[in-house]
Amino acid sequence: MTEQALYRKWRPRTFDEVVGQEHVIHTLRHALSSGRIHHAYLFAGPRGTGKTTTARLLAKAVNCLAPEAERPCNRCSICQAVNEGRLLDLIEIDAASNTGVDDVRELRERVGFRPNEARYKVYVIDEVHMLSTSAFNALLKTLEEPPPHAIFVLATTEAHKIPATVISRCQRFNFRRLPLDAIVARLERIVEQEHIQAEREALIAIARQATGSMRDAESLLDQLVSYSAGRLTAAEVHAVLGIGSSEAVCQVVEALVRGDAAQGLSVINTAVEEGVDPRQFACQIVDHLRALLLVQLKSGIIPPYVTEEMLPRLEKQAASSSPRVLVQAVKLFNRAATDAKSSWQPQLPLEMAFVEALLPPEIEAGPTPQPASQRQTRPVSSPPSPSAHPASRPPAPAVVREAEAGYRASSVAPERLQECWPEFLNALRPRNLSLEALMRSCRPLAVEGDVVVLGFDYDFHRGKVEEERNKRDVEDVLSNLLGWRCRIRCVLRQKGQAEQTPITHHQPQPAQAEPPTPTPSSDQEHADDPLIRTAIEDLGAQIIG
Amino acid sequence: MDMSESAGLDSHAWGIVGHKWAVRLLQRAITTQSISHAYLFTGPAGVGKMTLALAFAAALLCQEEGAIPCGRCRACRLSAAAHHPDLYVVESEHVGADLKIEQIRELQRQLAVSPVEGRRKVAILNRFEEATASAANALLKTLEEPPAYAVILLLAAEGRLLLPTVVSRCQHINLRPLPADVIRQALVERGLAEPEQAELLAHLSGGRPGWAIRAVKDKGLLQRRAQLLDELHSLIGAPVSARLRYAEAMARDPVVARETLELWLCWWRDVMMVAAGAEASLTNVDRYSLLRAHADRFGFARSAATVEAVLAAADRLERNANPRLTLEVLMLDLPRQ
Repeated sequence: MTEQALYRKWRPRTFDEVVGQEHVIHTLRHALSSGRIHHAYLFAGPRGTGKTTTARLLAKAVNCLAPEAERPCNRCSICQAVNEGRLLDLIEIDAASNTGVDDVRELRERVGFRPNEARYKVYVIDEVHMLSTSAFNALLKTLEEPPPHAIFVLATTEAHKIPATVISRCQRFNFRRLPLDAIVARLERIVEQEHIQAEREALIAIARQATGSMRDAESLLDQLVSYSAGRLTAAEVHAVLGIGSSEAVCQVVEALVRGDAAQGLSVINTAVEEGVDPRQFACQIVDHLRALLLVQLKSGIIPPYVTEEMLPRLEKQAASSSPRVLVQAVKLFNRAATDAKSSWQPQLPLEMAFVEALLPPEIEAGPTPQPASQRQTRPVSSPPSPSAHPASRPPAPAVVREAEAGYRASSVAPERLQECWPEFLNALRPRNLSLEALMRSCRPLAVEGDVVVLGFDYDFHRGKVEEERNKRDVEDVLSNLLGWRCRIRCVLRQKGQAEQTPITHHQPQPAQAEPPTPTPSSDQEHADDPLIRTAIEDLGAQIIG
Repeated sequence: MDMSESAGLDSHAWGIVGHKWAVRLLQRAITTQSISHAYLFTGPAGVGKMTLALAFAAALLCQEEGAIPCGRCRACRLSAAAHHPDLYVVESEHVGADLKIEQIRELQRQLAVSPVEGRRKVAILNRFEEATASAANALLKTLEEPPAYAVILLLAAEGRLLLPTVVSRCQHINLRPLPADVIRQALVERGLAEPEQAELLAHLSGGRPGWAIRAVKDKGLLQRRAQLLDELHSLIGAPVSARLRYAEAMARDPVVARETLELWLCWWRDVMMVAAGAEASLTNVDRYSLLRAHADRFGFARSAATVEAVLAAADRLERNANPRLTLEVLMLDLPRQ
């Protein structure tokens, strides 16, 4: 490196320069001016939000030689020593590489010595969550009652890993992610002072990429400035980061609102062909949908990435879409942006998010006499994560029940069971993945007392579930869901019993005793029924009645 | 907006197909002497991560000044023959195996010694997503503060598969699949394929030049694909019993299962695209009439549901679910005539 990285060069040197953490700065300044300096602070917050910076400012301010109101002055010898990283009384410890109890013991031995030149010795312990348990415990006593000349600042990105006994001994400050406009404003200042030519759009793109971390934004700017020959343009930033044009994003959402699959998929494909990163694009669509929701709900908030010329189009889109559809789409695209599914086809999750966002109205509005067997396939085949099932889409069990309304048994239990089934599969999934796959191949047939009868097509599957461990897992999860302790019995389904055999409720009778179908009228009618046709074609069933 | 255009055509592209912006970024890092000590190259298999890493390494190790390996000096000749003593390539034993902590330790020992030939040492860690947690953690310190002469290049399918602490210590360069046109042109220009075949391979490659070049050299790849597609076609008309037999056979070999599912995913995505009327980016262009037939028969919603079913099955297999069960469930979800 020829030159210091931007984020080090532009580290704030006064409290006024710290961006986006007013609540912290205000409190600290007040404490300083009233002389109520605590002996231990905990700074918690995401990366690049100013924890180390504030810790150093604090070290300067408590030791500065200038009158209290001007601290830190950045002129006195102490301030300059801190700025140049050579003040002996500011001790920065990287807890990630000094995790052990011995490191803490060493610290404890030294903390007793008086400061070299400053008023206070300031210990900044970075990444403090990496300390081992015994190291934390060794620190407790010192943290509670340090010598009067010592101040501890613990900084961490993962406050939940800090023992409560440590937290209660510190004054805790939570650092927030920086808002987008704060980052943009700061970048603009840096660019101006560094005499870098950059488009505002380019800076906004960088700031969005940084997701609230100033350091990320500054290192990205660094990287891109050396990439671009002259003026840093938005196009260059987009090319490196794989960001799509806002025009393309807008077109996808327009297609979504209109329900135009061809148009939307084509735009997505063109963007990907041009080198846009599908995950980035999904994030951008989420941002756009969010802006759309904000406009639609008349919140008066317009995110800074919405340009003037985009606003009228947003308003038009807002007028022709329903919030429910939008919320649903946000969920789906968000999943495409964050899901860690296989990367065989990087753009596929994005395309599927779009397709799924489109599909629900089509299914609802589709021709109603669709055979139940076809409808059934959706819940079975879509990914089992609960968020995958849109709120606006009728939940799967409703469809099933609708199909069976004619001959539903009177009692509550089997109906509840059918309703629970997708939920049951989801609950089983984290516990035993292959068991969940297995349970997809069976159907709850009946409830006999506290025994749930499960029907399987193949003996191999039935045998698997009957294994002691699997059986226990199924019973546990099912009992939890139903709210009463149940047992399961696995049976092979009879040939004639087709897939959608509805649940029947028997008090003591055997499951196969009563045929669940309404009274048949003619063979022809049977043959028309898709379920029976399936049974005949695939399983070799015969109509004998 | 054509991104390859906007990145500008530098005089020399290191002989790399596409990814002009990345090449330029790395070249400028060398010319402005702002080389980062650690880079992370991500992208799907065959997209060109290793090719880019080797080219970057050659440029870094070249004894001449400048961002372009001269190709004449001793360092360049050694790099070209993959024999440069200051270039280390570390990877797991085979795809799917672990990258072990011992390998990282060994690398650290070697990096601690000053370069043999020139000013730098370059370490390429291939498929770093296969590194065990302890191996990845062991590398953290080296990633943050490697010896001044060392440059570390991590290669992985996706950044999210690595520890966030690893990713945040690297300059992340995410290589995206290339436009089919770029690949077709490269195949023709390098005399690897006749225009007609280049066109087909470019589409089948899904934007991954590495795959296309492999397919040129390994004729079996295309035959295998044709066979799998024929089987898929006959499965659609087959009764459940035949499908389950197929699943059973498929489940015996995880590599075959993966390969088959990948192909099915492409196929049903194409069917879905045709059904939706978005035909610009089809993969299986050579079997368009069959795609069309499937699209007409099953429609948009049905083919989309099938894509999801295949995706879900692939996801389960990756998480070590029972292969036979997973594939049987998938068989029941496949559409039929």
